[in-house]
Amino acid sequence: MRWLAVHLPDLPLEVFERALAAPLPLAVSEAGRGERILRANPAAIAEGVRPGLGVATARALSRALRVLPRRPAAEREALERLAAWSLCFTPHVSLSLPHSLLLDVAASLRLFGGAEALIRQVAEGVSALGYHRRLALAPTPLGALVLAAWGPVGQPDRANVIVELHALRSALAPLPLQALGLNDRELGDLARMGLRQISDLLRLPRTGLAERLGRRRLILLERLLGEVADPRPWFKPPACYSGRLELPAEMDRVAGLIFPCRRLLDELEGVLRGCQGGVDRLDWRLEHAGRDATCFELGAARPLREAGRWLDLLRERLGWLELPAPVREIRLLVSRFRPLIPETGALFPEPTALIQVPAPDLLDRLRARLGPEAVQGIALVADHRPERSWRRCDPGESGTGILRADRPLWLLPKPQPLQTRRGRPWLDGPLGLGEERERIDTGWWDDCEVRRDYFVATTQRGERLWIYRELEGRQGWFLHGLF
Amino acid sequence: MRVQQILDQRPDLWRGQASRYSLPAGIPTGIQALDAQLVWGGWPAGSLSEILSDRPGEGFALTVPALARLSLDPRWLLLVEPPFQPFAPALAAHGLCLGRLVVVTAGADRAWVAEQGLRSGACGAVLIWGGRWERGSLRRLQLAAETGGALGILFREEVAARSPSPAVLRLRIRPSPLGRELTLLKQRGGRPGALLMLPLDSAGRRLDHCNASCVGPDEPGDPNDRLHQS
Repeated sequence: MRWLAVHLPDLPLEVFERALAAPLPLAVSEAGRGERILRANPAAIAEGVRPGLGVATARALSRALRVLPRRPAAEREALERLAAWSLCFTPHVSLSLPHSLLLDVAASLRLFGGAEALIRQVAEGVSALGYHRRLALAPTPLGALVLAAWGPVGQPDRANVIVELHALRSALAPLPLQALGLNDRELGDLARMGLRQISDLLRLPRTGLAERLGRRRLILLERLLGEVADPRPWFKPPACYSGRLELPAEMDRVAGLIFPCRRLLDELEGVLRGCQGGVDRLDWRLEHAGRDATCFELGAARPLREAGRWLDLLRERLGWLELPAPVREIRLLVSRFRPLIPETGALFPEPTALIQVPAPDLLDRLRARLGPEAVQGIALVADHRPERSWRRCDPGESGTGILRADRPLWLLPKPQPLQTRRGRPWLDGPLGLGEERERIDTGWWDDCEVRRDYFVATTQRGERLWIYRELEGRQGWFLHGLF
Repeated sequence: MRVQQILDQRPDLWRGQASRYSLPAGIPTGIQALDAQLVWGGWPAGSLSEILSDRPGEGFALTVPALARLSLDPRWLLLVEPPFQPFAPALAAHGLCLGRLVVVTAGADRAWVAEQGLRSGACGAVLIWGGRWERGSLRRLQLAAETGGALGILFREEVAARSPSPAVLRLRIRPSPLGRELTLLKQRGGRPGALLMLPLDSAGRRLDHCNASCVGPDEPGDPNDRLHQS
């Protein structure tokens, strides 16, 4: 077994900070003995804010500082979404509350090109989602977690990679005892015995240790070293995706929403990769303070997975979105994942070219900006009435019907009445009628009965028109098409 | 004696039409006499062309054979803001695969839609009707067409002939009692000025795509046209 632990030391802060495109002094406070700063981002630290300061003191140090109360529920949701995202690397992911994930990557190493390459991809992915991370690979889950959280920090991007069990022992030895998650009383007891590091603990005989610390703590040590099994509950991905991003500062510009939305889409992409699916519809919900949320949906003609493709569509949609009030939270809901059918390449593409439907990405983009009604195809309908011989449809359909090369290329949306002079149709001069007359007399069975004689008419200037004369009623002349 | 007649007698004379640089491939227009006049041997793919006419919808018929040919490829044919309803039975009868046709109601976003379509590479042709066009936005369309390899055709009013345009081909089409009168106002890398009569078939119904006659390349159209070749 190979366990990759992903530790997120700044999660309480980053559930807010990852929505920020530009650095802004930000801190998270925790209630307890007085309200104190728990974490502060670099911009806040640069102004002198330190974890442990009282909130009032911190505010006095930095005028621009925003202090937000810690939100454990949001942290847990963020961790679960990250777990769903990490399913793109392995099907075995386990949550380790409060701030870590465990990935069983034994079976993934070869697919991703070895431990180094896999760790690099995980690290880049987590960073792109807006989290600082510390990674460690170790033969036991607990060992990986301890190393990730407490291991030596050399270069920030290097993970601790331990392959052999005996190497794990020596890697853990210099770490402080706090790393084991003991409570204050136990730590105090051990400190009085002169034990500071894990190596001190490992030197002691086990039986005596069991009596002093209790059997439960000893198992912890044995699991750490891989002497006993350490079963972990696997994370089960939800059947839908529901992303939420609280904005630390209210956003009143549409352009400022792109960055936080990108975070959600990146996350969704990982989730989709993990379940080998795509989505063809996103529901966005922009929450305002004291107002109804702005909701809109984004659709695609076929299921998409890549965040970049959705972002293109989103940009177009946001381009004509009007915000009634500043946005303070963004939610993204996907109720249904769809199987993604990968594009298949053909060795000889020519014979199928006619059946192929062109890529719909362009049309998605047009629809996102102009609305779904603005992009239409036209299809044939088997009907002799000109108005009914075609219909609007989704682009890509063609329908079946009657082909007529002698019909005009343009049809007027509504027949236009023509003047008559001395019983002849008139349009800026008398119209010359062709010799042929075509009678269309049909449709008695529905509400659009047609009884007409069609002619090809020529104007004085030489333009050719398709006109008809009503056979009933006032027997008026109408212009219906242009050649 | 017309210059054209002299040229017909002397095939060894260098015409100045042979290009000094490579030209985009042409899509046959379906009218041999017109193809012969165009340096590309047809509509210039990957470029913007203009068809000028004061009559709404005029000139669409001229493009239908090329559209039918393009509809064999799995690429979209975009009709942006057509002035009337394109009539499906007639288009299908001319060999156009309706499954490729997309009619876009763009309103004020005409230029954006045209540029997206031309640039995307997913369109075989983009036909745009109407709108007010600045030189800069026309230039963008031309560049987009070059990027996406699409045939861009812009339908404008005849007044537009007075202002220069980056389009590589400009045609003016007018109805006449004998058929349609087609003037070649500009072609990049070739000679403008040709005037063609496109006759009708016996029923007087549609363009005959075989027997257009060339009245002569030296018939000047409007003197203004000559002044503004860009």
